[in-house]
Amino acid sequence: MSPPDHIVTTEAYQVSAATPVSPSSSPDPARPADAEPLLQVKDLRVSYATEDGAVRAVDGISYELGRGRTLGIVGESGSGKTVAALSVLGLTRAEGAEVGGCIEFEGRDLLALDERELRTVRGNEIAMVFQDPLSSLHPLYRVGAQIVEAIRAHQDMTKAKARARTIELLDLVGIPDPAKRVDAYPHEMSGGQRQRAMIAMALANDPKLLIADEPTTALDVTVQAQILALLSELQQERGMALVLVTHDLGVVADMADDIAVMYAGEIVESAPAERVFAAPEHPYTWGLLRSIPTLDGPREELLTPIPGSPPSPLAPPPGCRFHPRCPYAQPEHARTNPELLSTPGQPDHRVACLLEPETRRGLWRELA
Amino acid sequence: MRSIKRYTPLALAALALGLAACGSSGGSISGSSGIKAPPGVQTPLTESQTGGVRGGTLTVLNHQDFEHLDPGQAYSSVDYEAVYATQRPLYSHAPNAFSAPTPDLASGPPQISADRKTVTVHIRSGVHFSPPVNREVTSADVAYAIERGLNQNVANPYFSSYFGSLEGAQEAEKKANGGPISGITTPNKDTIVFHLTEPKAPILAAALVLPLTAPVPEEFAKKYDAHSPTEYGNYLVATGPYMFKSNSAGKVLGVGYEPGKSATLVRNPNWSTATDFRPAYLNQINIQIGGDTNVIGRQVLEGSHMVENDEIAQSTVQLAYEKFRSQLEISPGAGTGYIAVNNHQGPFANVNVRKALWAALDRVAMNKAHGGELVTNVMTHFIYPEIPGFEQAGGLAGPQVDYNDYPTGNAQVAAKYMRLAGYPSGKYTGATTLQIVGATGSPTSEEAEIVNQTLKNLGFKTKFSLVDKSVMYSKFCGTPSEEIDVCPNVGWVADFGDPQAVLDVPFNGEHIPPSNNPNWGQVDDPTINQHMAAAELVVGTQARAAAWAAIDRELVAQAVAVPYAWDKQPNVESHDVAGVGDVWNLGAWDYSFTSLK
Amino acid sequence: MTRYVVRRILWGVLLLILVSALTFVLFRILPTAEPARLRAGRNASPRVIAELRVDLGLNKPLITQFWLYMRGLFLHGDLGYSYTSGASVRSLIFDRLPATLSLTIGSAIIWMAIGLPIGIVSALRRRTRTDRASMGVALLFISAPEYWLGLIVLYLFAADIGRVKVFPGAGAYAGLTADPWKWFTSLILPWLVLAAGFAAVYARLMRGSLIETLGQDYIRTARAKGLPERQVVLRHGVRAAITPILTIFALDVGVLLGGAVLIETVFEIPGIGRLNYDAITHADFPIIQGTVLLAAVFIIVANILIDIAYAYLDPRVRYS
Repeated sequence: MSPPDHIVTTEAYQVSAATPVSPSSSPDPARPADAEPLLQVKDLRVSYATEDGAVRAVDGISYELGRGRTLGIVGESGSGKTVAALSVLGLTRAEGAEVGGCIEFEGRDLLALDERELRTVRGNEIAMVFQDPLSSLHPLYRVGAQIVEAIRAHQDMTKAKARARTIELLDLVGIPDPAKRVDAYPHEMSGGQRQRAMIAMALANDPKLLIADEPTTALDVTVQAQILALLSELQQERGMALVLVTHDLGVVADMADDIAVMYAGEIVESAPAERVFAAPEHPYTWGLLRSIPTLDGPREELLTPIPGSPPSPLAPPPGCRFHPRCPYAQPEHARTNPELLSTPGQPDHRVACLLEPETRRGLWRELA
Repeated sequence: MRSIKRYTPLALAALALGLAACGSSGGSISGSSGIKAPPGVQTPLTESQTGGVRGGTLTVLNHQDFEHLDPGQAYSSVDYEAVYATQRPLYSHAPNAFSAPTPDLASGPPQISADRKTVTVHIRSGVHFSPPVNREVTSADVAYAIERGLNQNVANPYFSSYFGSLEGAQEAEKKANGGPISGITTPNKDTIVFHLTEPKAPILAAALVLPLTAPVPEEFAKKYDAHSPTEYGNYLVATGPYMFKSNSAGKVLGVGYEPGKSATLVRNPNWSTATDFRPAYLNQINIQIGGDTNVIGRQVLEGSHMVENDEIAQSTVQLAYEKFRSQLEISPGAGTGYIAVNNHQGPFANVNVRKALWAALDRVAMNKAHGGELVTNVMTHFIYPEIPGFEQAGGLAGPQVDYNDYPTGNAQVAAKYMRLAGYPSGKYTGATTLQIVGATGSPTSEEAEIVNQTLKNLGFKTKFSLVDKSVMYSKFCGTPSEEIDVCPNVGWVADFGDPQAVLDVPFNGEHIPPSNNPNWGQVDDPTINQHMAAAELVVGTQARAAAWAAIDRELVAQAVAVPYAWDKQPNVESHDVAGVGDVWNLGAWDYSFTSLK
Repeated sequence: MTRYVVRRILWGVLLLILVSALTFVLFRILPTAEPARLRAGRNASPRVIAELRVDLGLNKPLITQFWLYMRGLFLHGDLGYSYTSGASVRSLIFDRLPATLSLTIGSAIIWMAIGLPIGIVSALRRRTRTDRASMGVALLFISAPEYWLGLIVLYLFAADIGRVKVFPGAGAYAGLTADPWKWFTSLILPWLVLAAGFAAVYARLMRGSLIETLGQDYIRTARAKGLPERQVVLRHGVRAAITPILTIFALDVGVLLGGAVLIETVFEIPGIGRLNYDAITHADFPIIQGTVLLAAVFIIVANILIDIAYAYLDPRVRYS
């Protein structure tokens, strides 16, 4: 789905091999992360039964997210990142997926909840924003009405009060003339406004966690930056945790505290954001970084795409799933699938790779 | 009338078997023709015409709608049911008498002059029109009724056949709106005299039973007859025991008759039983039009105070015969079914080929397709049962000639005649491919197929096609120039109970019009034509019967057509109806004689 | 929007004129029986038939006949007079219209009330036994010939000839104003028979449309908002799934208003369908013209109405 290359916006971070990366935003020191993580995903597995066999979209991933923190989940299309995001809210159940593992939210295992209990969480404590606001908003109802519906699903409010609240929310997300726009249909709004409205809808009940699945992919380049800035602002104001799912490293460069790189249904690297840009340890991550064009790089410099294409989720390669595309693969990598392990000296930085850490660092120094 | 098959039977094989078991002898009732009905089944010839209970309303379920209610236009059996209950022609019939007309409006039999050119009829007094006209009927009303037949707005279809010989008719014909005919005179209000240009009085006298002679009040009808086409049928005035319900202006359409929906007959307040031979027991008759014939039949058989009075479904006849036998009526003399073969050109112009087909045809199989023994008899000559002359022409068995002796067909006899025709092998060896045109639907298509097969067995190559019935008549079989060789699905019902009405029109070579030709076989034998011209002049029922029976034998001798079925028409009633059917109208229930139990 | 409506109406009128002309030509040149011959009856003489042709105006050139007809129609609303009964076609049609309206509207309500819920349930229980069973039964009713079904129903449930004497049988129809109770009870069996086939079709349509709708992104959003599943299915799913079905519904009703001849015959309901059929068997051209024109009017109007309604049903649709 996503193009392998992506022009980063003017405001966005420029990744250059030589310059160490310093993120323009860092976690607010006035708000330290709570001791207890808000969201803990342990060995999440999601598979679908199809006519051709079982598709293992997510094959055992684990990560944590603290209150008010931002996690970026990065990967190509088919990496399983969207399915992983959807399964937090149990939205894969409708499609008949088999979900295994454990998703703990504030100590409760969401996977163990029944539909009724889950519904009290959806749109309330955890909210979600989707990729294409034109198809994700109901085309036949006015935008205001859809937001009112979201409010009244969880709060006991009259229609009039909910409508007033809706107008406030629209104002909050930066939609001009909100008292008028509240009665617009989705197709009557611009792409950026629609996405702002979706965000307003997600925020309606003050969620503790917002999951954004490719929130800017369907938008114009200039609008993307605005939306990302909006998300960042809202997150800070409310102390809301944010999971940002994207295929674009440039999007998460600014905003994420931690980044998890997914490939073929697994997390291959997870680390604080600055580490991922400064000292990535997985060959796939190197490939991602090197395939990003920069505005101030030399014009003649060729981009280096990652050769090959992602594996079919029906039949992942044996051993290390990346090995068919990895320039450094050894024959024994086809036999063993590496586990996600901390690199020496950096407990927060985990990599799933069979190469020796020293070898990896050496290779990265050569590439950078 | 051209024969209307009033039911759509499939093979009633089960019934035939049942009849065989019953046998045709013990305890069954027979009519004057010697045709026996199975025990338990009524016929019009045995139904009692007296002693009915007065009062009540009869419900009639008819699948078919009326075609014309105007007595000057009515010409089908369904129309006659209503017309003969509401109109009084000069003569009509008692239910069980086909041959002897009963004086209706007339006070006595017609007087025919010695030169056969004058007919005098005396009219009863004391007969009144229904509201809103109310006044007494006079002979002038009968004159107007007949004269309006030539008005192109009325366009009576049988005028020229029976009344064309009236003096002054030709002149009146030339005028668009008809007008007085000089040959009809009314010396006084009770007498009407017909003057003819040719000695055709006998047939005109016999034709006086037709509805055209029912009186029509000129002062009332004139304005409607000026319309193109006439509107009189929507404003009918009655002289019979019943009338169509009408409003104060006399309008029937929308009041007593809703086309395609219903009709209501109520008592004619100005009718008096003293002047009529009809008892008229019922107070009202409600006619419901439409519906599926299978459903209607069941409703009648299982219901109360109902009759079905038109097209009847095979399933209904079967159900009635098996479970409601006393509610079933079979009426003989319902017409004929025969095969018209081209006497004019082609292989059948040869009399021996015609005889060969007659011999070869399995008439019993044809009748099985036609509905079985219950509703048919094997046809062996051309005058049909109940018509005077039937017995003289040979009765049920018919003339004893070898090609007529084998109802199931006989290949040897057929071969013999083929050889006589010039085909030594006994089969056709010529080059002509026969054109056969039959009618779609059941049972006509099955019957046509049997004929087709029989012809093939005789060695013919055939081009066989089935078309819609009305197209068959109008476009193919009724158009001489098409020279169709074989029309297997034709038949005939007489206009009235005179043998001339059976034999003349279909077999007289003198009338072969270029279109709508009812002499489908183009039969034109000069000797027979001459004899017919002479028989037309004969007076007296017996004498006419003898004269025309002789012609019938000649027609058989010349095998002008190939017969197969003498029809009997089934009709059904509810258990609590004492129905009386008119044998002269396909056994249709007569509203003036039927009563409720 | 007004301009759009006006334009559609004008096209509609043009279409009606074309339909009239086509009917005119078809029935006069096809090798069916001639009305003059039919009206004259059995072996009528050629002279009589010729007279009748003049009477009925059939001797004039086709164009003249058509022109006279159109003129009468547009200037006086005169649809001519029946060849057989002389009754005015307009009065005949208006006389029959209430029965057809009753039959159509009642049936439409029933088939939607039965078919749509079944379709919804089937969509929600896709591929379960319930789904297969209901779609199987639906297929049965779609295949069953209407006429046959009508006869069966009468033989089973009619008060006069049925096994279980529940409802009034054939011929019991009474006008609504004449006898409301009889009107209602006499229509129950015809409504059910007419609705059977349609309910089956609409169940299948609804199932398909809803299955497709439930796969859309906005359904996912609705669930993500934490809405109860019933609200997701009905307010979000069915609401979107039903718009294409309403287009078909409008057309079906439009066509039915032109007469349901089979049901009307079996149950003896005096509607437009039977009027048309009887007219065809008698080659009664004025009535045929009138009923065909009426049917065309209903279809055209239904089309226009649903197109207008669509703009309200689906705000994405805009007419310039």
